[in-house]
This record gives sequence, C-alpha cells and structure tokens, in this order.
Amino acid sequence: MDGGSTYQRFPKVKIREMKDDIMKFELRETDASVANALRRVMISEVPTVAIDLVEIEVNSSVLNDEFIAHRLGLIPLTSDRAMSMRFSRDCDSCDGDGQCEFCSVEFHLRAKCLSDQTLDVTSKDLYSSDHTVVPVDFSDPNDPGEQRGIIIVKLRRGQELRLRAIARKGIGKDHAKWSPAATVTFMYEPMIRINEDLMETLSLEEKRSWVESSPTKVFDLDPISQQVVVVDPEAYTYDDEVIKKADAMGKSGLVEIEAKEDSFIFTVESTGAVKASQLVLNAIEILKQKLDAVRLSDDTVEADDQFGELGAHMRGG
Amino acid sequence: MVARSNATPDLEPLRELFRHHIESFDYMADKGLEILFESVKAVQVDDPFTNKKLRIWLAEPKLSKPDKELLSNNMDYKPFPYKFRQAKISYTGSLTAKVYFQLNDGPPIGINFKFGQFPIMVKSKLCYLRDAEPQDLISCKEESSEMGGYFILNGLERVVRLLILPKRNYPMSLVRNSFSDRREGYTDKAVVIRCERKDQSSVTVKLYYLHNGSARLGFWIQGREYLLPVGIVLKALIEVNDREIFERLTCCCSERDEREKGAVATQLVRERAKIILDEVRDLSLVTHLQCLKHIGEHFQPVMDGMENESYSVVANDVLKEYIFVHLDNNYKKFDLLIFMLQKLFSLVDQTSVPDNPDSLQNQEVLLPGHLITIYLKEKLEDWLRKGKRLLQDEINNESKYFDLGNVEHVKKVLDKNPAKQISSAVENMLKTGRLATRSGLDLQQRAGFTVQAERLNFLRFLSHFRAVHRGASFAGLRTTAVRKLLPESWGFLCPVHTPDGEPCGLLNHMTKNCRITSYFDSQEDIRDFEKIRNNVVDFLTNFGVTPLWPYLDKRGTPAVLSVLLDGHVVGFVPSSEVENVVAELRRFKLSATSKIPGDLEVGYVPLSFGGAYPGLYLFTSPGRFVRPVRNISIHSEKSQNIELIGPFEQVFMEISCPDGEDGGRKNASPATHEEIHPTGMLSVVANLTPWSEHNQSPRNMYQCQMAKQTMAFSSQAIKFRADQKLYHLQTPQSPIVRTSAYTSYGIDEYPTGTNAIVAVLAYTGYDMEDAMILNKSSVERGMFHGQIYQTETIDLSNKSNRSERSNRIFRRSNVDKSMHSLIDSDGLPYVGQMIRPNEPYCCIYDEVTSSIKPNKRKGSEPVIVDYVAVDGKNKNRLQKVNIRFRHPRNPVIGDKFSSRHGQKGVCSQLWPDIDMPFSGVSGMRPDLIINPHAFPSRMTIAMLLESIAAKGGSLNGKFVDATPFASSVKKTEGETGSKPILLVEELGEMLKEKGFNYHGVEVLYSGVYGTELTCEIFIGPVYYQRLRHMVSDKFQVRSTGTVDQITGQPIKGRKLGGGIRFGEMERDSLLAHGAAYLLHDRLHTCSDYHIADVCSVCKSILTTLPLPQRRRATREIRGLSLIRAPKKVTCLACQTSRGMEKVPMPYVLRYLAAELAAMNIKMTFQLNNEFK
Repeated sequence: MDGGSTYQRFPKVKIREMKDDIMKFELRETDASVANALRRVMISEVPTVAIDLVEIEVNSSVLNDEFIAHRLGLIPLTSDRAMSMRFSRDCDSCDGDGQCEFCSVEFHLRAKCLSDQTLDVTSKDLYSSDHTVVPVDFSDPNDPGEQRGIIIVKLRRGQELRLRAIARKGIGKDHAKWSPAATVTFMYEPMIRINEDLMETLSLEEKRSWVESSPTKVFDLDPISQQVVVVDPEAYTYDDEVIKKADAMGKSGLVEIEAKEDSFIFTVESTGAVKASQLVLNAIEILKQKLDAVRLSDDTVEADDQFGELGAHMRGG
Repeated sequence: MVARSNATPDLEPLRELFRHHIESFDYMADKGLEILFESVKAVQVDDPFTNKKLRIWLAEPKLSKPDKELLSNNMDYKPFPYKFRQAKISYTGSLTAKVYFQLNDGPPIGINFKFGQFPIMVKSKLCYLRDAEPQDLISCKEESSEMGGYFILNGLERVVRLLILPKRNYPMSLVRNSFSDRREGYTDKAVVIRCERKDQSSVTVKLYYLHNGSARLGFWIQGREYLLPVGIVLKALIEVNDREIFERLTCCCSERDEREKGAVATQLVRERAKIILDEVRDLSLVTHLQCLKHIGEHFQPVMDGMENESYSVVANDVLKEYIFVHLDNNYKKFDLLIFMLQKLFSLVDQTSVPDNPDSLQNQEVLLPGHLITIYLKEKLEDWLRKGKRLLQDEINNESKYFDLGNVEHVKKVLDKNPAKQISSAVENMLKTGRLATRSGLDLQQRAGFTVQAERLNFLRFLSHFRAVHRGASFAGLRTTAVRKLLPESWGFLCPVHTPDGEPCGLLNHMTKNCRITSYFDSQEDIRDFEKIRNNVVDFLTNFGVTPLWPYLDKRGTPAVLSVLLDGHVVGFVPSSEVENVVAELRRFKLSATSKIPGDLEVGYVPLSFGGAYPGLYLFTSPGRFVRPVRNISIHSEKSQNIELIGPFEQVFMEISCPDGEDGGRKNASPATHEEIHPTGMLSVVANLTPWSEHNQSPRNMYQCQMAKQTMAFSSQAIKFRADQKLYHLQTPQSPIVRTSAYTSYGIDEYPTGTNAIVAVLAYTGYDMEDAMILNKSSVERGMFHGQIYQTETIDLSNKSNRSERSNRIFRRSNVDKSMHSLIDSDGLPYVGQMIRPNEPYCCIYDEVTSSIKPNKRKGSEPVIVDYVAVDGKNKNRLQKVNIRFRHPRNPVIGDKFSSRHGQKGVCSQLWPDIDMPFSGVSGMRPDLIINPHAFPSRMTIAMLLESIAAKGGSLNGKFVDATPFASSVKKTEGETGSKPILLVEELGEMLKEKGFNYHGVEVLYSGVYGTELTCEIFIGPVYYQRLRHMVSDKFQVRSTGTVDQITGQPIKGRKLGGGIRFGEMERDSLLAHGAAYLLHDRLHTCSDYHIADVCSVCKSILTTLPLPQRRRATREIRGLSLIRAPKKVTCLACQTSRGMEKVPMPYVLRYLAAELAAMNIKMTFQLNNEFK
C-alpha cells in the first residue's frame, strides 16, 4: 500500500429479498470482521422482549412449573418497541414488576379444561397488558380459520393453569430466548472461472460426470452447445468436490474457484420478534453504539498517545 | 409434542421379557404351594403318660389377593399396587392353611391357621392388575406398559435375581481338588447330581471315586455330609445279587478293542466292580435286608421322628428322602446309580472328559417362585418342629395337666410360636435378599437373592428382569475361569451386555429371544410333568428304545446308548438307531398336536473318542434356558419350523448363522438348523446400539453400561410415584437412527436422549480428553434439561417407639410466624414452594411435650416441593406423608454425556452460540462439539455412520433403520443379481441427493472470526444420552471444617463436608515438582497442624501439661492480650517447667506417641537448633 492512501472503505448493501421473516442481502467492500460482527450482533445483541418471570397461581397440568416457565420464555413476542425500552435493571422508576411501561410487560394466562377433549393451551391464550408486545402470530393470513399458536401445555379434564408472567427486555447473549434471529449466516461470494480450453478436452460423458460431482447445482451442461456453464455460483458451498474431481480426472486447473474476500451474501431469518429488515437495522444501530462506546470511553482517550491517529480517527469519525 | 398414533402397540415382545418371573410365581400360587404343603412331613407328638399320639400335618393352603384392610378400614375400591407404593407398605395377600390334628388313629380335625401376609408379585394371578389393558393400567396409575414381575415391599420394588444353578437331574462328572480332601483315599474325581423333588426342593448327591477303585456316595443331612460305600446303597435299594450288579456295571466293557469309537469302559471296570462287591462282603453284609439295617442303624440318630422305627424303615426313609429324590422308585434309583458309576469310571479311565460346571450346558436358572417355595418349605418344617417341641414341653411340664386330645388347647400352645411369622420371614427374605436358614437349601449362597428394581430408566429396569447372576460365591474367587465367555452360552446369554469390573462375566443378561421353560403350556394350563414324561417314554419305546427292566439285553455303551429322561434311565437305544430317534423326536416336538412338549431338550451326545460321556439326555423340566431357532431339516411353513432348543443340546447341533455367506460351514456337517436373525445373540439393551457390528466390541459393552445409567424419561406415571430418587429428562427425543428393537419393545415410550447436532473438531481446546462443548443457547432452549425427584417419607407412628406414647401430629406453630411462608396450617409445605437449605419443610407437634419441631432440608441446593401425599388410613390423625421434592438439574459444566457408542464425555464449557462455528449454507451451529481424537483408537465407526444416516434421515424426514447385521441377512434372503450396496454408499447417496457432501462433512466458518475453517468438518445429528453422574451431586469443597476426633485430620465424606484425600501419589507429584511450600500447606497447615510442648529434659511430649493460668484483671483489657505471657507448662515427670520447647508437628505424631506409650514404648524427642 502506498503511504498516503487511506484504508477507509464504504461498505455497500444491496438487498436481494426482503420478507417479514427472511431477508437476503449482499454486503460488499468490507471484510470478514465486519460481516461477522454484524452476524454476531444480530444473533446475540439485538434486544427483544421475552417472558422472564412467571408467577404460577395454579398448575395442575402434567408439566411442572419450571418447565412451563421455560416454555413461556421461549415464545417469541413482538418486540418492535424493544430498542426503545429499558433493561429493567437500568430502569430507575420501577423494579421491573410488569407495571412499568418502560421496561416490562405483564401477561396473564388462565386456562381450564372442562371437556373430555384435550385442551391445547397455546400462546394465543396469553393476554398481554400491552398491545404492542404480544406473542408472535404465525397464522396464515390467507387462512383465518387456522389457529397456529405455540402450544404451551395440553390439559385434560379438570386440569388448570393460571399464571402471571412478566416479559422484559433482554439480549440473546444473556439467554437464547431473547435472540431475535433464528439463523443468520453469510458466505463469501464465489468467483468461478472455468478453463474453457481444458474443458473442451473432456468428452461429453466426462463433462456430465464432472458436473454431477458437485452435490449442489452449480454447473450444468448447456443442452445445445454441450458446454459446461455456471448456473448458480452461489450454490457453491466451497466443498472443493469439483476441484477434487478434476484432479482425479487428471485435469487439474479445470476450474478455478476463489472466494471474494470483500463481499458477503447474508441470509437473515427472524423468529418473528422483529422483522428481518428491522433486525438488520437494529444490529447496525447497536454496532454503532458499541463503537461509540469504545470511542467515547475514558480508556480510549487515555491511550491517545499510543494510538495517535487511530484514536483521532475514531473520535472524528 | 407430536401427536402420537393411537394404534395400541403390541406389548407381547415386551411381556415375553418378564414372563419367567410371573409364570414361576403363578405356578407357586396355583399349584406349587399345594404340593409344598403336602410334602411337608407330618410330625408326631407322643404323650408317654397317657400313651396318646398326636399327628400334625398341613394341607390346603390358600393365598388370597391383597387385602384392602392393609390400606384403609373402610374403602370400597380395590387396593391397586400404586397405593402400596405410596403408602410404603408391602403388597401382600393373606396365606391361610389347614392344620390337621389326628389323635391316635381317630378322625383328623382340620383347623384354619393364618400364616400371615404373604408377598404378592405384581401382575401375577393374584394381582389386581393381572388382566388390565394398557388403558386400565393408566387409570390404575401405572405405566401403560407395566409388566410386573416384582414385589412391592415397604413401597420399594424388588426383583428376585435369577441365579444359575447346576442343571437338575443330570449327573455331571467333575474333577475338583477339594474332593480329595474329604478323607484319606479320596481322589479328585466325582459324579455329582442335583436332584429335585416335586416340591422343588433339591438334594445334591455326590459319587466319589476312591484310590482303591471303589466309590462312595455322599449326601448332606442337616449340614453334615454322610458317605456310604456305593455297594451298600446298591444292595439296599433293591433285592439284587452280586452277579447282577457285576453284570450291570461291566456291560460297557467290550471284549473287542478298547479304542473303538465311543468305548467308555476299560478292563479295569471289572476290577472295580469286584472291589465294590468285596467291600460290602467285608462288612459281612450280604442280603438286601442286612444292608438296609446297616444304613438304618447308622442314620437313626440323625433322622427326626424316627426314634422308634425299625432300622429298615429308617433306611428306606433315608433312601427316599436323600438319595435321588427326583425318582419315586428304588429300581429307577438303582439304574441311575449304575449309570453314574459307569460315568465315574469312564471319567477315571479318561475315556470321557469331565463336564464343565461353568458352562451353560450344565446349568439352569433359579426362578422367584422356586426360591420362595423352597424357603417357605423350610420355614414350615421349622414351625412344625418347634410346635412339636412346645407341645412336648407342655406334656413334660408336670405342674399342670395337658390334654393332647383338646384341640383348642393344642392350638393355644402352637400359637406360642405364631404362624404369622412364616409369611413375614418370606417377606424379610425378599426385602433383604438374605436367607435365614439352617440347611442352606442346597444353594451356594445366603445373601443377594433380591435386588431393588431401580427405575432410573426403562432399560435399567428391564435389565433387572433379564439379568442372570452366576452366584455370589464366585465373586470372591481369585480364578477368572467362571467369568469366561464360553461358546456354549451363544444365543442364550449376551456376550456384550455384562458389566465391566468386579461383576464382569458373573452378571450376564439373557438375549432378547432367550426364554425360561415354564410350568405352563401354551394354553396357559399347568403342565403335568408326570404325564409328559410318560408320553415321552411311550414315544421312545415305539421308536426302538428298549426298557431296562426286565434286564435282558446285556449290551453296553458303544453298542447301545443310555437314554435318560430327567435323570431317569429309561432304557437303551442301539447306537445305529439313535440318530433316527433324535430326528423323530425333533419332528414331533414341532408338531402342535403331538404329545411331545415343544420345549423338550433332546441332548444327544454322540459317541466320540474320549469326548463327553455319550448318551441321549432328555429334559422336560422347568427352569431351563431355551431359545427359538429355525429347523431347516423339516420342510414346512415358515412359522411351523421354529424349534425351541436348550444349551445342552445346542452344543451337539448344527446351526448356521447368516453371515452373508454360507455360514462358515463345511459340507461334511450340513446345517440342520438356522438362526432366526443374528441379533438374537444380543440382549435387549445391546440390541439398541445402532449398527453395533461396526463398532469395536468393548465400546458396545460400555454402551450397555451407560444406557443403564442414563437420565431418561423414567416413568409416565411419575405423578403417582414415590420413589426415593427418580431422574427425569425433560425434553427427550426418539432417535432418528434406530434398530428394530426400539419398535418391538416400545422403547419410544421411554426415550433416553436427544438428537444433538454434533460437530467433530478441535475448536477451543476445551474439548480435549473426552471433554465436550455444549452450545449454551441449545441448552437454554431446553436441551438435556432434567430434574431429580426425591421423596421423603415421614411416618410419625413409626418413630414413636423411641419415646413411649408420644402423640405427634403435623402442625405448625401459631406463635412463631417465621415459617408461615413455607409451611401451611397443616404443618406441611405448600406445593410448588421453593425450599432452600436449612429451611423447614414440615413441622411436627408433640402433644405430650407440646413442643414443635420443624424438619429442615439438608444439602446445599434449593429444591421445589413437587407434591405432598398423605396416608388416609388413619382417618382421625395424619401420621404418614410423602413429600416429593424436585431438584432442577439443567446441564452445567462437569455433567456427563454419552453417545450410543460408548463415547462418554464431560461438558467442559457452555460455549456461546455466536462463538460456535457455523455452516455458511444453512447457518446451523452445532449443539455439541467433540474432539476428533475420540475416534481413531476407539474405532466406533457406527457413530460416524449414525451421524451421516441421521443427517440423511432428517433431510428426508424419515427414521433410518440401523439394525445390526442387516446386510448379512439381506444377502442370504437371496436378492440374487442385485449387487450388494455398501451401507456407506447408501447413506452417502442420500446426502448427495439433498445437496450435501457425500462424506457427511460441511464447510464451517469460525464463529469468532467469520473466516472459513481450514478443514471441512464432520457434522450431523447423533443421539446423545445424559448420564446420571452430575457434578451437583458430587462436588466437594472444603477449606476448613470438621476434623477427626483422634487424629485431628480433616474427615472424608461429601455429606459431612469433608475433603478429598491428598494421598501418597499426589504427594509424590508435588515432590517431583519440588513444590515444598505447597506440600507443607496441604499435608500440615491444612491438616493437623499442632504445636506441642516437648520437655527437653525427659524428651517426651506426653508428660507436659499446661498449668492453669492465674487470671489477672489486667489481662482482660483489650489490646493487651497480644502480649500475653507464654503459658506456663510443666513436665509431670521432671516436675519442672525448665526446658520446655514448643515444636510444631502433625497432631497424629502425638497420637502415635500415646499409642506407643500404651504398649510400653517410650518415644523420645531429640531437640536441637542446628538448622536455625
């Protein structure tokens, strides 16, 4: 690198697909550390609201109290408000008892089975004190008759469940129930170059077997020209199967596959607590806050002499 | 919570596993007791003054179903077993019988006696659950697949352990050094037979060989062995002359070549026969009667109630009661004795080899009903004998008049020795597993007959009923011969399922197909063994077996073979025809209409050169091992040719096992039988290891061990159980990769683990040496969550014997309100309440002292009250409660987990989800990381296969069948033409179709850096079990605490807050490091650091005594105490305080000095300051 130039880069995001619960986007012109930081923040540091405290009044079901409390905790609650809420440990005005609108939400559940048919107690039976924080609704909007709540417990005749639950803000690092992400993953964008000259030396049969050596459909044979073409480079899983196959056929260098070091394809799946797109935005926001925390912390200022330019850069933005 | 199909599962295979326990008890209840009571000998009481005689005997026993009175005084519902479990009492029914009294020869008078409360086996004929369907069982608060087979004693479930016994009624030739120690002149060779009476009690008779060529018959009467010259017995048995005996004994001595095939006798036999006869003559006993008198004279003192009988009556009784008791006729006994002599001589001449008593071939099994019957018999005999003594005492008591004729009076005397204790003796035997007996019941051990049927998990529970123990007497033996896995046990005992370590090879488990022959036929009717034997004898005579009597055919063994049926020499069959007879027997065995029972054991020992003693041995008796194989020499429909074979005959049969080829068999000996499936050689638990044939064999053994200590879904009726400790897995799963045994035995009702996504890589260093990393988020989502249920029973009526008449009830204090948050007004805790250590969980009020005493929780962790059950027997006052606590046990560092392939490991970290490696394609993070070093040396290939198969299975949404040896069976079933597909290829293709790597590896990215890991990682779902060893129950911490009284050193034991011994080897390692300070700290400062006063004048530490300090007021002032003057110490021996030195030393040194002083040894201490 030449001395004067700056290392600063300006990452670009290109959205490919965006639904409520899934989002795919490209992140370019940055490196693995940023991509992975984003992934980690999405999984474990974007706050959501989840049931944290359960007071059981009556429980004559087959499951014990802790089991039910644990199941309640894992029910995703709509947490769009979570970013602006307070952690109940930081909330000065209350003790996180469900009464304070800044840090907690109260839920009630009352169910008793009176018929001979088993009663399913689902997340739909949870009554929230705050209409913005409710169990995520998974029912198909096209089929309103279908009830798709998350089953908490099944009751038989005479069994009863009555409880009060308090949901609080938290992050996935503390407990997996607060993680808004079902899956966040990224892959390096592959660059696939077929050595056409070498490829031409293969017979059709060899080509076919080479194409089929990849478990995923990355290559295909063009039915007309009978040439090997790359259909879907992103289906490539870096499993090196095709390269091994080429080596085995004595045609090393038949294909060159490189991972682009600076572009990533992200797949984000949300639990439903926040929308996938919001999850990404929140994650970026939190990442920013974390950087700010480093930048503004006293330690950083003190270490100014040592880090000089870096410190100035961080402060100046 | 997946909806389950409502089809009722077939419980028959499962029932089959428990059948032998229940059937043996059923037989006892149906018939065994009756026979037993009849066989108890009558006693006779004589009144010398009035010359009256009173005969007393027992008859008509009646065992009833459990009484509801045991539970409550007025309840109109049935007393189902669960109530007995909860009330911590025994599931018993009353045993009554008639005791008959006959004065002189008058009419017998029968009086009903109550013999107490007799334990009833669950699901036996006397149990209320006998015919309950799964639905009914659930309403009876049992498991839907409750199989019974155990007893409920004090609320605990106990099983009678199956014990190996020598095969009954089979003369076994033995060589044992202990035989030659009997007396002078005895050799180490003998033929031994364990004879069993109709009432199942047995007597072992030994025929010893003497150096002089003769033989002695040995048998035990009341704990003493009596030895009789065999000639006397022969003559005493029947009216026979010397020539006949000689002919019978020497019939095997052929005039031709002695080295002919199957020749068992040499010319020496003639000499021996002569010696035997001479011996008798030397005692000047010639006739039958003389021999009888000789025996009678010697045995009159030891035979009870025979004091006034003539000698010949006594002798006949001895022969009847102690010699070959399985035979009812002296001619039969004579034949058997001749046979045994021939076998003995053959053993001596080495024309046949000794039988191996450790081989399953010569063994059978002791069943619960059997054990109880013989124990009960002895107890009844004791009772009668004691009753007789009481009556005799009463008669001899001159101070008062006693009339033997007055039945009421007699009964009163008999009641001094209450009959009720007979049942309680049986109950005690089952409770403790200990026999309280004088005679030993012809068993090798006194203790360890029963074990508790732990319901840690279903597999452990089930194994208790399948386990067969070799006998406690072998456990202490230094030789390992008994523990050896012998080929004879193939197909009957599982070679895989035996524990490691101390009981290895002694505690075996029956294979899944192995059964025990029963007292019931296929129509559930009690078998008449007498009739069966007669049928077999009839059959044999039709097919060319010549009966022994009249003794016309005088040929011996190479020409003819002896035929023994249950230890009775039926006759001879010419050796040319024996194969034909055997084939016919087997053919008729299979046909349902024939009178030959299906489980007849046809032990044909062919003629050989010095092999096993030849003969045709048939067995019909119960208590034998049998297993099904397919008879392929008989052509009939598939289901028709399943033959039951026993271990005795198996050795001489040709059974091919499918191994993908021809079964490794040569054409010279074509197979007549065929194994049904190769998995039949494995026990139920061993059958649950997927693809176990791909594993190194010890790993399968470890898995059998670990499967039984898995924390699993232990019970479906957990709400109604009051077990002392119950482990329960909260979120179990059914394995994706499973063997056929899972379905056939309904194991999915009690799953034992979780399908965890396992990645095999060295990731953080926390997975070294079998440690494993769990994904923290997976655990937080419920993986391997579980709890321990622990029940505490508080019985106030029970404890009250300590202080007389103290009336105690549950009540809380109204004054002290501090415990009102924990204890309700009834003195019991709130359900759902969390109780921390040292908090009270119930409160007892003593009405006499009017004091309140709370019971406090011990231990170090908070528990939750799961439920409280009260015993409603005593309506007015509550006396007994069960309080069940729940200990949460979610995975923590230090907990133990294992796959199904003997790969156990300890959780070393709960690693954050974000730091776990993830798959770029699916974003999946593993639940669990293990180290690749777990594989090369252990060679658990099946675990790798399981991972690939489960991955493929879960992608296709299907379970994968992993029954072992499937490939070899497939091939033999003749899919001709199609190329055999390797298992691996099959599984690999499955993955490839779904776009995954053929070899099960995936490209993972580092969770920390986001970069691709340099290797592709093997990842896939593996069924993991959580073992019951958890740190929370095990950890020990101590800085200071209680010390030993004598030595002043820290005590051991976790419960007492003790420490772990820092032993010699630990000391050595610190020495090697030169860590002197640390060593000093461990062994001295933290142990028994002590400053002793040593008198440098007399050099003793024992004579020094600190003088009582005169207290001065100034010393009390604070701050001045620092400059406290040194204590004044004087030496008692020297009478001076001069020369006192303070020396730090371990306190035990002082103790040693004191101990030595007690032995008059003085320990002197040379003090110097050289090192200062």
